[in-house]
Amino acid sequence: MAKVISNNIRRLRFDHDEMTQKMLADTIRVSRQTVVAIEKGKYSPSLEVAFKIADVFNTSLDKVFQYQETAE
Amino acid sequence: MSYKERSIWGSLAALIYIWFDYFSGMNQLYGAQSLTIDSINELLLDAVIMTIVIEVLLQIVVAIIDHKDANYDEDERDKLITLHGCNNAYYFLLVGAHLAVFYIVFPTLSSYIFPFIDLPNGYFVLHLIIVFTLLSEIIRLATQIRYYRRGF
Repeated sequence: MAKVISNNIRRLRFDHDEMTQKMLADTIRVSRQTVVAIEKGKYSPSLEVAFKIADVFNTSLDKVFQYQETAE
Repeated sequence: MSYKERSIWGSLAALIYIWFDYFSGMNQLYGAQSLTIDSINELLLDAVIMTIVIEVLLQIVVAIIDHKDANYDEDERDKLITLHGCNNAYYFLLVGAHLAVFYIVFPTLSSYIFPFIDLPNGYFVLHLIIVFTLLSEIIRLATQIRYYRRGF
């Protein structure tokens, strides 16, 4: 089975006062479209952006991103 | 649609319109048997001026429509997408460059391969470069649009 990178950004945003994608994007200095692509798993961010996202949610990287096998 | 994507769509549309106009103009002149160096120069100058004017106007219009993101800097995803676009375009441009060299080095052989265009050598090479640069640019922009649409 292939391993893929998944993330909990959507849930973490919801848990942080329903933070909008735009607010997150402005904080980590990327476009909103990039946040959308990351959330959908269409784009894997650089390590720097990944750490910035974890920092925004005040959590560790592995709580935001997971490298796991797909259900297929 | 992001500011960057909108800008790329505009550039692609402008590029295709301007150079389609240029080559259809050449085709008309060729049909009327009045294709001369002067007429080609005139068409070429028109195309270059139109490219500059339309591109500037287009960027102004996109900035007005999407004024919130007009000062937005490229992020890492934009840079990667640009890089992939340039990478794909490069291979095509390389083919064009080799064809131009082939034409210059083997002019006799080339006349058998390109017998349908009766242009002076320099102008034929110029058009070979224009066509391949144009196609490379289309490939670059189309690749970027594809990555913005389908994800990266």
